[in-house]
Amino acid sequence: MDTVLMEALARLAGLEKMLAEYPEDLAAAFESAIGHRDVMKVPEAPDAEPWPPMRAGEGL
Amino acid sequence: MSEALHWLGASDAVRAFAAKKLSPVELLTALLARIDRLDPSLNVFIRRDDAAAMAAAHAAEAEIAAGRIRGPLHGVPVGIKDIIDVAGLPTTCHSAVLRDNIATADAACVAKLRQAGAIVMGKVSTHEFAIGGPSFDLPFPPARNAWNRDHHPGGSSSGSGSGLAAGFFPLALGTDTGGSIRNPASACGIVGLKPTYGLVSRRGVFPLAFSLDHVGPMTRTVTDNALLLDTLAGHDPADSGSAVAPRGHYAARLDRGVRGLRIGFVRHFHETDLIADPEVADALDNVARTFTAEGADIRTVVLPSLGEFAAVNRIILTSEAWSIHAPWLRTRPGDYGKLGRQRLMAGAFLQAGDLMAAQRRRKQMISEVEAALREVDILLCASSMEPASRIEDADATARTYPRQARTPFNVTGHPALAMMSGLSRSGLPLSVQFAGRYFDEATVLRVARAWERAAGTDRKHPTL
Repeated sequence: MDTVLMEALARLAGLEKMLAEYPEDLAAAFESAIGHRDVMKVPEAPDAEPWPPMRAGEGL
Repeated sequence: MSEALHWLGASDAVRAFAAKKLSPVELLTALLARIDRLDPSLNVFIRRDDAAAMAAAHAAEAEIAAGRIRGPLHGVPVGIKDIIDVAGLPTTCHSAVLRDNIATADAACVAKLRQAGAIVMGKVSTHEFAIGGPSFDLPFPPARNAWNRDHHPGGSSSGSGSGLAAGFFPLALGTDTGGSIRNPASACGIVGLKPTYGLVSRRGVFPLAFSLDHVGPMTRTVTDNALLLDTLAGHDPADSGSAVAPRGHYAARLDRGVRGLRIGFVRHFHETDLIADPEVADALDNVARTFTAEGADIRTVVLPSLGEFAAVNRIILTSEAWSIHAPWLRTRPGDYGKLGRQRLMAGAFLQAGDLMAAQRRRKQMISEVEAALREVDILLCASSMEPASRIEDADATARTYPRQARTPFNVTGHPALAMMSGLSRSGLPLSVQFAGRYFDEATVLRVARAWERAAGTDRKHPTL
C-alpha cells in the first residue's frame, strides 16, 4: 500500500483527524477504493456517455 | 382468530377486519406481546411507539366498525427502517451521529402508509447509515436473525427482515442501495422488492447514494408485497429522482403462473463469477426446473460480471456517500462505528475521473441488461451465495456479505425481488432473485407468486 499517497489524499480531503485517530480505518477505506477502481472496465469509446443522460424534466 | 395472529398477512388481516372476525386492537395487542417476549434477544426495534400505535388501532377499530375504510391497509401494523422519517420520532440511522435527530415530518412513503390506514409501530434496526454490516460499536445492538439468533439477518434493512420473520409485523419498509432490501429478504426468508429506480419516493429518507437509493416493500408473502407496493408507488414532484410512470395494480392478477414466460437464468453469477454454496446452487436449479415443469421457457442469459457490477456500484455509491458524510467524517470520526467509517470514507480516495468512468460504464451495463430483457420476460439469478453467517464472526461476515448478485440491479435501476428458495440443512433460509423490465414489477411479482405457490415459502416460519 502506498502510504505516502494515502496520507496525502487524506489530508487533501480534510481527514487529518481521522488520520490521527483511526489510521487503520483510513487504510481500509483507501485499499477498498483502489480495489474497486482496478476491477472496473473503463469505456474506450469516446462517445460512451455517462448515466444518467441529460434529460430535462423527467426521471427514468 | 386467536391462533397465530403473528403470522397473519396484511391481506388476510384486512379481510378479517372487514368480516368483524378480528379488530386492529386485537392484532396489535398480540404483536406487542410477542415483541415484549422476543425482541430482547432479536433487537429488531430501536424505538417503539406503542402508545401512538395503540391509539391508531383504536381509531381504526372505530372507523372500520362504522364502515369508514381509510384505505387498503386500514388497521395493519408496519415497521419502519430507521433511516426513514416518522414525524416526532428520532431518525438515528442507527448512529451516534444522529442520535437526537427528531423528524419534523413523515417521509413521503410513511405519509402514503398512513393515508392507506396503516399503523406505524416504530423504528427498526439498520446498519449504520444503511451501509457496512452488523456492528457492536453503535448506540443500539444489531438485529439478529429470527431463524437462528446466532446468525446475522442481512442488511442494511436488518430489523425489517428479522421483524417480519419473527412475526412482529406483517409489513415493513426497507431501502436498497447495494442490495439492502434483498439481503435481509434472503437471510430471513421473507419477500423483499427493490422497485424500479424512481417508482417510490425517497423524500424524507436519509440518503446513502442519490442515484442508487430505492425504497421498497418487505413482507412475508408476495401478495402483501404487491399490496404494499400499490400503496407506495407513484410520482412525487418533490423527489428529483421520482419517475413519471403509470402505477401498476400490482396485487391484481398475481396468480397467472409462469406458463409461456421466457425466463433468463443468469447462471454465471453463481457458477463462475462467484461460486455459490452447493445448497444455494441446487435450490436455484430447483426453481428453474419447477418453472420449466409449469410451462416456462428457461434460457441461459449472460450479463457483465458480478465483479464489475460491484465495482461500478461501489465507486458511485462511495463517491455519493462521501459527498454527504465528509463534514462529519472530518470532524466527528469517533461518532461513527468502525465499519461505517471504513465504508463511507472510501469515496475520499476516488477522483472525478473514477466516478465519470463508472457512470459511463453504468450506461453500457444498462444497455446490456436491457438487451437481455428484450429476449426474455424476466431474469432468474442468485441473491446471496450462502446462508447467513454467524453474527459474531466478523471475518465470515466480511467475507460473505459481498458474495451476492444484488448490486447489478442498483446499477441499472431494474426492479428485483429476493425471496426464499428453500432451507439449508442447518435450517437457515436460502434465496432466489427475480429481476424484470423497468416498471414491470407486475411480472416480477407474478413470477415470485408462482414460486411461492409451488414451494409453499409463505408457510415456512422459524420456531421461536
